[in-house]
Amino acid sequence: MSRRWQSVLLDFGIGLYGAVLLYRIVWVHMVQDGEAPPVTPPELGFYAVAGLIVVGLGLYLRCTLGAWIRWRQELKQWQRICALHWGLTLLVLTIWAGWVITKVSPLDLLSAEGLRSAGRLFGALLSPEFSILDKALAAMVQTIYIALMATLFGLPPAVVLGFLAARNIMRGHPLTFAFYAFLRVLINFTRSVEPLIWAVVFSVWVGIGPFAGMLAMTVHTVAALTKLYSEQVESIDSGLVEAVESTGAHPVQVVWFGVVPQVVLPFLAFTIYRWDTNVRMATVIGVVGGGGIGTLLMQYQGLARWHEVGLIVLVIAAVVWIMDYLSARLREAIA
Amino acid sequence: MTFLELQNVRKIFPNGVVALQDVSLRVERGEFLAIIGLSGSGKSTLLRCINRLIEPSSGRILFEGVDVTHIRGEQLRQYRRRIGMIFQQFNIIERRTVLENVLVGALGRVSIWRSLVGAFPTEVVEEALHNLEIVGLADKATERVRMLSGGQKQRVAIARALMQRPEALLADEPVASLDPATSHSVMRYLEEINRQLGVTVICSLHFLSLVRRYARRVVALRAGSIVFEGAPAEITEEWFRYIYGDEAQEVEIR
Ligand SMILES: Nc1ncnc2c1ncn2[C@@H]1O[C@H](COP(=O)(O)OP(=O)(O)OP(=O)(O)O)[C@@H](O)[C@H]1O
Ligand SMILES: [Mg+2]
Repeated sequence: MSRRWQSVLLDFGIGLYGAVLLYRIVWVHMVQDGEAPPVTPPELGFYAVAGLIVVGLGLYLRCTLGAWIRWRQELKQWQRICALHWGLTLLVLTIWAGWVITKVSPLDLLSAEGLRSAGRLFGALLSPEFSILDKALAAMVQTIYIALMATLFGLPPAVVLGFLAARNIMRGHPLTFAFYAFLRVLINFTRSVEPLIWAVVFSVWVGIGPFAGMLAMTVHTVAALTKLYSEQVESIDSGLVEAVESTGAHPVQVVWFGVVPQVVLPFLAFTIYRWDTNVRMATVIGVVGGGGIGTLLMQYQGLARWHEVGLIVLVIAAVVWIMDYLSARLREAIA
Repeated sequence: MTFLELQNVRKIFPNGVVALQDVSLRVERGEFLAIIGLSGSGKSTLLRCINRLIEPSSGRILFEGVDVTHIRGEQLRQYRRRIGMIFQQFNIIERRTVLENVLVGALGRVSIWRSLVGAFPTEVVEEALHNLEIVGLADKATERVRMLSGGQKQRVAIARALMQRPEALLADEPVASLDPATSHSVMRYLEEINRQLGVTVICSLHFLSLVRRYARRVVALRAGSIVFEGAPAEITEEWFRYIYGDEAQEVEIR
């Protein structure tokens, strides 16, 4: 897209966004203090007009952000200052809107009663109840194994897909290239859906529990590892590949002797890193019913037994720290 | 019948670069042919066209009278097996042993499954050890390639090419990243393979002194065309300036 259209679109967007903020947040929410009414066509028209006005200002007076990116060098002093003010106004409005939408309330944060409960809670967390240590460790082991299974199940498909999602392997033929493009879209979509959401999907499918959590993480692991693996495959040195090709080797042999030696160690490093990530994710997924330490945490939290919760948090922190350390050392050792 | 013949070979890359234009060349069996020319003149492209790492845009390549310009699949692999290739950057597997690297040269005649599990037939392994002897690396067979010097790496690559029992050997600036003494040692192995085993050698080189010392015939490329063809001794001062440009000065490598 040309710079000209970028600048026009930017101005239009700014005008529209500013109008929405001003009307929806400032007028309806703050001044009238009412429930947000449904959006009506005239309202949309009003937003569009606001956008067009800013576009007009940008094109004729050259005093908007769009004008700034388009004519950067040639602008006069006052035009720049004006553009800067557009930006600042927008920023202030955005923070204000964010404040309102998030229901930020310093009063709640600092109320006497709130502070007292928080104090009790932190006190309890700091004096963990060690009598449930065996129970917590058992749940933690379950979490680690859920993460391990997800990593192991995700590994084989990710290795295969890692090659099929690498541009340099697939670009030879239009058909393989189409498959590559399709795979890329699929992988990016799968990866962009958080494991927590996959856990919700699978808990509907196979019922709530460790199995759903593991499936969710497996899916996300396949997508994440495929992306990392394929980038590694794409960055290999083509010299070795050509050398193996030139011996008259079969394409399967070319991959095995020309590509694989260059990627095994990075693949291994990514996989270890992923297991480490999965342990942390498994904890979170456990919170929504995926089993293991997260579920235990939720149970005690529901009973408001904060000393037990304190112990569980302690166990999680220790294990995450140890995994983190071990995986970093392991990756260092093979690098 | 001519061993290898290029007829009006042209190569235009997808980005529009004309790397070779109308190159015609005959190579006889057993020759030691040098290819010279400035960086970017098309030496690598020419060599890669010969073993079809690159497919020419037009023209024909005949190997023992058979047209190999557009062959594909198994036919292409059969053809490539008859021609070994070594590279400036060696292109060997750094993390594997010398022997494992040499065995890569035999992939074409070992079944896929055997090669994937690393179960090469005994006679193939013996041949690999024999080829390591030829390049003077018999005692390094089990060492990791990473530990070797540049000259030794290139000799591993030569041994790998020999595993193909090649009829021809393409060498793309085989000594460009080596020091002068090592360069000569590697070039002498190529010479020996050419003389003793009768392998045709086509070798691109940067130093005219190496060309004079090892090649029996020279082809010079300039902007993708052959501008000189003859014996090394025939490259006079004028020719030198024509091939390499007026600014160039000849450097000796002893
Ligand atoms: N894959 C490619 N795609 C596009 N252009 C290429 C490609 N390979 C080579 N070229 C271009 O073709 C021309 C000839 O390149 P070539 O590598 O054959 O030259 P060379 O004589 O081997 O040079 P050098 O001495 O630097 O290796 C150069 O202009 C190069 O930029
Ligand atoms: Mg080159």
